[in-house]
Amino acid sequence: MINGLLQLLVFQVLGELASKMLLPSIPGPVIGLVLLLGSLIALGSIPPRLEQVAQTIVQHLGLLFIPTSAGIIMFLPMLRENLGAIVVALLISVAASIAVTGLVLKWLAGERADDEHAT
Amino acid sequence: MNMRPDQAPIVEIWVYLSGSPLFALTLTLAAYSFGVFVYERSGKHPMANPVLVALLIVTAALVGTEIPYKTYFEGAQFVHFLLGTGTVALAVPIYAGWRSLRGRFGVLMLAVFAGGLTSIATGVAVLTLLEADQSFLLAIYAKSVTAPIGMGIAERIQASPTLTAVFAVTTGILGAVFGRFILNAAGVSAWWQRGFALGVASHGIGTSRAMSVHPVAGAYASLGMGLHGIAGAVLIPLLIQALMLLR
Repeated sequence: MINGLLQLLVFQVLGELASKMLLPSIPGPVIGLVLLLGSLIALGSIPPRLEQVAQTIVQHLGLLFIPTSAGIIMFLPMLRENLGAIVVALLISVAASIAVTGLVLKWLAGERADDEHAT
Repeated sequence: MNMRPDQAPIVEIWVYLSGSPLFALTLTLAAYSFGVFVYERSGKHPMANPVLVALLIVTAALVGTEIPYKTYFEGAQFVHFLLGTGTVALAVPIYAGWRSLRGRFGVLMLAVFAGGLTSIATGVAVLTLLEADQSFLLAIYAKSVTAPIGMGIAERIQASPTLTAVFAVTTGILGAVFGRFILNAAGVSAWWQRGFALGVASHGIGTSRAMSVHPVAGAYASLGMGLHGIAGAVLIPLLIQALMLLR
């Protein structure tokens, strides 16, 4: 467990360094993610200790943004005035995005014999 | 304070506890655990999302105890700190999706760009048309991608990470609830396409939903969420800069 966590932290540190020195507009953890993804592709498999820790953290990723999200209480008066517009915007935005993404794939990707379909 | 002597120790303990990180951490973990419990009990219904449930409890507790948000966050930052590590860990499910990819990378990236731009353009257009406060606009850009990455983008484009996270979670819930009806209406039936669309548009919550429906949909949803997150982290700050220049 500690070893897996260490592997994640090493990539996070590398990402932060790259963000500070080379690519300031990209968040360090995202660069760390890309570096780890590249390493996994090069390696061709996921080291078991890394997989164990990564899966646990990803499964509970939602826990990690509760502290920031709770700041919503500071926005409540402003939010109340704009609630209708925001809900409509979020709903249309996600619906249009799902439809467009799905349709682009449906129109542009060739059908393969082993593609499974929803019935 | 005019407290009776026998009450004083309790008050003292409360004053000590409410200001210490222990209280914020316990509250956060307890609220989240309860959220997971409710989610499991509901048969994993997206509306019973653990983060949403936890958020209601934490905010109610802060209002009820009159603990300032700043004090709470100082304690809960130990949880918050792991967000960067959690973002790096996303490489593992993305890689699992990557392995099931069979030469479709080009068309997937095209779908990511189309879906991401649609998400931003429609969100910004509706907010502008309905004359909502301008301060919400930047968070709409950042919420287009999964919350942990979106919050990182928010810091780069001077959007509120709080609004970004709450908008992203709401987006995830809405997408997970309505996604299948939209995909059915659009006639998108291949599991890999349905999963990918859910991952791109409704992030982690949509991905969980896709995983519970079909393994192929789940793998492609992870990939869609990840590729969109990476593309968004690179392109959204540049897009904002370009829009600033045009002004």
